[in-house]
Amino acid sequence: MTFLHPLALLGLAAAAIPALLHLLERRVPPEAEFPPLRYLTEAERQSARRLKLRHLLLLALRTALIVVIVVAAARPLMRSRASAASLHEPTALVVILDNSPSSGVIVDGRSLLERLKAAARGSLTRATAADRLWLVLADGVARVGTREALLATVDSVGVSPYRLDLTTAVRAATRLVDAEPLAGREVHVVSDLQRTALGPGRSDGPRGVRVLALAPPDQIPGNRGVGAVRVTDGAVTIGVVGTPAAGVGPVTVRVRGREVGRALAAPGTAVSVTLPPLGAGWWQGEVTLDPDELRADDRRFLVWRVAPPAQVTALAGAGPFVATALAVLEEGRRIRRGNDVAIGDRPQAGRLTSIVVPPADPALLGQANRVLAAWGGRWRFGAAGTPGPVATPAVTGIGGVQVTRRYRLESGPGDEGPGTGRDSAVLATVNGEPWMVRDRSVLLLGSRLDTAWTVLPGTPAFVPFVDALVNRLARGEAPVGEAEGLPRVEFRARGADTIGAMVFGPDPRESDLTPAPAPLVREVLGADVLAAAALAGARFAGTGRRDATGLLLALALLLAAVELGVATLTR
Amino acid sequence: MIDARRIDLLDPADVARLGGIEIVAAGVVEGFLAGIHRSPFRGFSVEFTEHRAYQPGDELRYLDWKILARADRLFVKQFEEETNLRAMILVDTSRSMAWRGAPTRLTKRAYADRLAAALALILLRQRDATGLITFDEVVRTVVPARVKTGQWARIVRGLLETADGRGTAAHAALLQVTSLLARRGLVVLVSDLLFDRDLALTALRYLRHRGHQVIVLHLMDPDEAELSGPPEVRFRDPESDASLVVRPRELARAYGAAVRVEIAAWRATCRRHGVAYHHVLTDMPFGMALRLLA
Repeated sequence: MTFLHPLALLGLAAAAIPALLHLLERRVPPEAEFPPLRYLTEAERQSARRLKLRHLLLLALRTALIVVIVVAAARPLMRSRASAASLHEPTALVVILDNSPSSGVIVDGRSLLERLKAAARGSLTRATAADRLWLVLADGVARVGTREALLATVDSVGVSPYRLDLTTAVRAATRLVDAEPLAGREVHVVSDLQRTALGPGRSDGPRGVRVLALAPPDQIPGNRGVGAVRVTDGAVTIGVVGTPAAGVGPVTVRVRGREVGRALAAPGTAVSVTLPPLGAGWWQGEVTLDPDELRADDRRFLVWRVAPPAQVTALAGAGPFVATALAVLEEGRRIRRGNDVAIGDRPQAGRLTSIVVPPADPALLGQANRVLAAWGGRWRFGAAGTPGPVATPAVTGIGGVQVTRRYRLESGPGDEGPGTGRDSAVLATVNGEPWMVRDRSVLLLGSRLDTAWTVLPGTPAFVPFVDALVNRLARGEAPVGEAEGLPRVEFRARGADTIGAMVFGPDPRESDLTPAPAPLVREVLGADVLAAAALAGARFAGTGRRDATGLLLALALLLAAVELGVATLTR
Repeated sequence: MIDARRIDLLDPADVARLGGIEIVAAGVVEGFLAGIHRSPFRGFSVEFTEHRAYQPGDELRYLDWKILARADRLFVKQFEEETNLRAMILVDTSRSMAWRGAPTRLTKRAYADRLAAALALILLRQRDATGLITFDEVVRTVVPARVKTGQWARIVRGLLETADGRGTAAHAALLQVTSLLARRGLVVLVSDLLFDRDLALTALRYLRHRGHQVIVLHLMDPDEAELSGPPEVRFRDPESDASLVVRPRELARAYGAAVRVEIAAWRATCRRHGVAYHHVLTDMPFGMALRLLA
């Protein structure tokens, strides 16, 4: 048995009141003359046994009455089968309300999010002041608060642009409640339970933590959404995602508000739409689908830059592979011969940017470092490094490429003189050590682009790498990134120049509304998948308690009636 | 409003406000006698009235020898007493008699005094020799039974001059009384009977054995019949100073039963020994109390 207001039990001291009153009352009785004392003595003698029993019975009844009333005031909770009307032991509860973009789907004329919010409200409403509560939304933040505060948050929740990884969220939630020293620990997952919302691995919640999940609707509408969008070589490649049974639908591409192409695509396929010739500069467009029950993924922005070919000069120290690659790029009009970018084993004066590789002769390494220092750079070639694979987020295609020979790139204090750039960034690493860094207007590589140093020149990624090197990395342009968020485009600028862009939109995985089967949910999340009614009954069932206050008050009334009867009928 | 014609039927406390014992008793007797058709008392006469058949135990001196000689049959003569009755009123003046349960009521002693005075007046008006004995532990006042003028005044004075006593040793006092009552007559004991019943009955039986007609008026305040009071109280016996802490509400039922048992025991024992017993509450009108003696 537990109590909602245990401090009220201090009132049990009042149970001594009847005995104290009995003792105090007996101390100074008034005195009166009464001649027929012999009758009184006889009556007292005959009634002594009965009166003693009566006094003991009344004392016990009155003490019990006070005890019962005090215990009732403490709101005792007794173990019982859980029901909607029953209370429960103090419980640590995390309600995961999955308001990810997919929750905005319309099911049976009603937003799925409203159904989810109703279930979340049901869980929070059943909570008591003794419970510890958290609310987790699609942003993954665990909000702790009172029942009223969290209910207000639930009421104000709208569809979030962020995807929620249920596996991660349940794992964090179970650990959160497990750390609470309360009798009950539960996690209520209120989600559409998309199959794609289950991340890798399992939640592996601690023992003793109950995870309950609301079952998804029986009928999920088909959905198509715009997935990944890439602009390459004058065409835009559009990946269409969604539920597999959604069928084919039209895809429209607009550039600056003007429709430039249409295609038909089904979820799981990709279409390519040719873009019209566009001038140099940053271009923004959008890809749209016909409206369906989930509007959040029917539109996606795209941004690309039409850049003029870089003017590149390959110096003697660049090596034959670089020269060959530049020839290929020149033939493909990706570059022109010129003085904007120079590739060699030392910075070249008069160039906007220099791409510097180590000299082939180790004896020239000191000279190269002195030139770099004179150039004002912070980075220099160090001792020889260990072989290893390339790791880089900046250039696609070269990740994992083996480097067999390299110099460590070491940074020094540097000289930030006027006229030099201020940015310095590591673009790729080998074995965790810098392998490619951009130091102001110099792009420094730890290995020569030669098969004696790395297998990169022998791979298909070499020419695209050189293309990115001279057209993008050497110029300091960031690639167009993609991120979750409200659909929009944000450009990055350096000074007056636009050097990159970020396209925000929903995670493409949100478009597939196919729910995960209950066995999979049980396996991954360790959750019982329950319909709304069953969930309402199962909440706090592990710590089901019934408020015994009414029962005790009834007992108190019974005791009072018995006491009254004993006090009056036994005179 | 007090009815002057029948004040014997009014509340004793109201009647007591009319004046002293003489006035009250006279008023009570006037009303009482006006309400009855004959004297309540029959005496013994020496005037012959009739014969009846002899029964074993009859005194031989009343045997009619002439009828025996003439008809050889045994008859005794019955007489109607010509001389007045000799009545002695015994009033208990012990400390317990000076108690009353409420200020609006008479104490048992005051009630007994007025009742005794009224009874004496009735008897004297019938030309019965009437006397008074008051007692507590010992005999306090003795007014010999007379019928002469001024006897009632002496009886009343005897009542007034007897202060409230202490304890009640009725047995000793009653034995002393028996020695004072040489001639057979009527003995009326007015007391709250708060003494040992067996010892008191020994004396009463002795009186009865001496041929006295004995009447016991058991006075009791209404608050003695039913127990009441504060939730808890220490009751003290004014005579013995013994005390007892009780809760009247708890003991009321048992006390009432004990009182009823005591009254029943007195009544049964008195009846068994030929003693008339009457229970009188002090809120009973005097006329009704006197009628008990009729």
